[in-house]
Amino acid sequence: MASLRRLAGSLTVSETALMVLVAVILALFAVTLAFSVYAVLLRSRHRRRDRLWEELSARWEAPVLAALVDADQIPAAQACVDEEHRLHFVRFVLEYTRRVRGEERRTLQKLVAPFLDGIAARAQDRRSEVRTRAIQTLGTLGLPKYSAEVLRGLEDPSPLVSMVAARYLARPEFPEFTPIVMKHLDRFEGWNPRFLASMLAKIGPEASSTLRDGLADEATPSWLRAVQAEALRMQLDPVAGDLAAAALPGTEDRDLISALLRLLAAVGRPTHVPIIRELCGSSDIIVRAQALHALGFLSNADDIPLLVAAMDDESPWAALHAARGVREAGGERELAELAESDHPHARLAGQVLFEEGES
Amino acid sequence: MTEIFWSVIQVFNYIVLAYFIVLHAGYLVTSVFAFGALKRYALRMKSLDLTDLITSAWAPPITLIAPAYNEETTCVESVRSLLTLEYPEYDILVVNDGSKDGTVERLTKAFNLYPASRVPTAELGSADVRQVLRSRRHPNLWVIDKENGGKADALNAGLNFCQTPLFCAMDADSLIEPEALIRIVRPFLEDATTIAAGGVLRIANGCVVSQGRVVDVRMPKNFLARLQVLEYLRAFLSGRMGWDALDATLVISGAFGIFKRNVVVDAGGYATDTVGEDMELVVRLHRYCRENDIPYRIHFVPDPVAWTECPESLAVLGRQRDRWQRGLFQSLTRHRKMMFNPKYGRAGVIAYPYFFFLEMLGPVIELLGYVSFTVTILAGRAEWPFVIAFLSGAIILGGALSLSAVALEELSFRRYPRLSDLLQLFALALLENFGYRQLCAWWRLKGTVSAIRGVQGWGHMTRKGFTVEATEVAD
Repeated sequence: MASLRRLAGSLTVSETALMVLVAVILALFAVTLAFSVYAVLLRSRHRRRDRLWEELSARWEAPVLAALVDADQIPAAQACVDEEHRLHFVRFVLEYTRRVRGEERRTLQKLVAPFLDGIAARAQDRRSEVRTRAIQTLGTLGLPKYSAEVLRGLEDPSPLVSMVAARYLARPEFPEFTPIVMKHLDRFEGWNPRFLASMLAKIGPEASSTLRDGLADEATPSWLRAVQAEALRMQLDPVAGDLAAAALPGTEDRDLISALLRLLAAVGRPTHVPIIRELCGSSDIIVRAQALHALGFLSNADDIPLLVAAMDDESPWAALHAARGVREAGGERELAELAESDHPHARLAGQVLFEEGES
Repeated sequence: MTEIFWSVIQVFNYIVLAYFIVLHAGYLVTSVFAFGALKRYALRMKSLDLTDLITSAWAPPITLIAPAYNEETTCVESVRSLLTLEYPEYDILVVNDGSKDGTVERLTKAFNLYPASRVPTAELGSADVRQVLRSRRHPNLWVIDKENGGKADALNAGLNFCQTPLFCAMDADSLIEPEALIRIVRPFLEDATTIAAGGVLRIANGCVVSQGRVVDVRMPKNFLARLQVLEYLRAFLSGRMGWDALDATLVISGAFGIFKRNVVVDAGGYATDTVGEDMELVVRLHRYCRENDIPYRIHFVPDPVAWTECPESLAVLGRQRDRWQRGLFQSLTRHRKMMFNPKYGRAGVIAYPYFFFLEMLGPVIELLGYVSFTVTILAGRAEWPFVIAFLSGAIILGGALSLSAVALEELSFRRYPRLSDLLQLFALALLENFGYRQLCAWWRLKGTVSAIRGVQGWGHMTRKGFTVEATEVAD
């Protein structure tokens, strides 16, 4: 160290710069070499892995297909799996599981049942991506046996892990998990609301009463109520119309109002029209457009003049919904007259009539 | 006087040296971030069944807006490819931007188009629309036939007719992979504040294309195209992935990016007075959201792929790079308010200055550096060990960056399966430093000068076109 310091002290500025430069070059050369070696090693590892996978797939394909045809063949198929390739086998079967339903799926679940303990251990891995994969596998192949692991996934610090857990728990065949998933919905505030609504709607009627309760409860956060309203719309829940109409007057959140109006458009009744009509004059373009959309579905010929007038709306979306509303309310004649005139909205009327011809 | 001149030259040489080090250090930093991000991404993709995620849940409808100008050689094949995308609900709007060739006629014949009615839902300025056509065979395929106004103008026209919450801006001659939409829409599902996401562009030259799909990935036979393969790997896997990891994405390729329609419309749509409308839009979206307190995220997703045909001649490549540089210059100078401005977050404090000083001014410094070095050497003023060390350092540094991109490709997607491809990429990583890199710097310098002079226009681009059945593309 001392000799290095002496050497540094004896060098001129340009010599020092040169030394630094040479050091940098050598370091970079090492980096370059490292990248090259890394790329080659990766290529080699991937090739080995691909070869192994091809070999294993070829070995397992016939026994797994045989087990699918005849469940008595399950032990024979399981016997083909070496200790060291158990996780590979689960992955192999998982690919098949995505393509089958019903009894065949249950056969595959039985087939991998002895190997899932290794996957359950991976649900505790420090890497969130590995935990996600484990939860996904257990959710597909290991429920209800591994429900404790999947339920624990709902509490996982990674939002992705908890979402994957929720998706596998929120299924019609496991109604017992529905209330638990519902309790964890606040974890998914950042996710796309329609995506969440779709997940909840797929649970089926089992979830409807919880969704209704949440929607009716003003203490529920607005974003969650909007998700619940959307899910009820997707389920076409016949009771939800009254709830939506009751919730509208006290609501200021634009997303919630829009969701409620969409729900009314889907399951509302003529008695809900007055409250919708009020919102057709809203200063908020999105609310106005949704209200016109709902009005078109629920109103009768009495509202056609209002809807025709709304075709003049400054917002093209509101105008489009109004035109569609005219059609839904039975105003084809009015639209046809407009389409054939030189009215500024002749094209809009023509388009909406054309859409009707298509549907 | 002479001594002062040589002192200035010497100082300048040191500035160039510093520039090289900072530039490459910047690249290396983004590569390091990209490395971690890609590794996580690859693991994450293994843990998600995307098709199941999208098809079993609500997938937002998307409108693909494909501006087409004189694309008669490729448009039919490209549209066919778009029609085979795996996505639950999407519209295709091909916007014919006043083509002088038979683009509309070919599309009409191939897809049985007829005049239809479609009312605009936005009022972004664009050249007059002549007619709206729709396919009898594929009801989700529309053609907006309009007067010529440029790519941004065509995108605005498409946006005016877009009726879905998301739209995908693309080139009519790109081939989008079947699963690309499913992959690129993921950030919009996971984070409701996502307003834009960009995908990866790869070079289709040399690849085998069948039924509008790239079925066999190969390195191009043309040397210039090969060099661009490496460039694209570096730009997308090292560069954009790294910027995404830093949450400071400033560029989404105009050939494949997806956006929230209402945010783009509210921000004013595409700027028609720049040739870099793709970058300008992303920079403006940062400004718009920050200035209006709108929570937002802009993502780069590394595996939704669009394949594009790259130039194979120096003349066409030069015009392309000239235009890219003008676009960069126009986008950055227009939004100079963002420079080092913490109000614009990392985009303003890190990404903007990086692009301004290193990407925009870089070619000027680099080329002047070559001149200054040459003058110093010719005048016998150079210290040879220093010059040799510097030049070899620059080459090794350039090589290291390119090799890091190749390693990232190996780590993640491995699209070039042959060992010979890998070896070619290694060789190119070193070869590109001798001539190609300097040529690119020269084109970019010309682009900067053109931008300062206010030159507009795209310049003539020639396409060889995709062939229909399993034959090679443009080689």
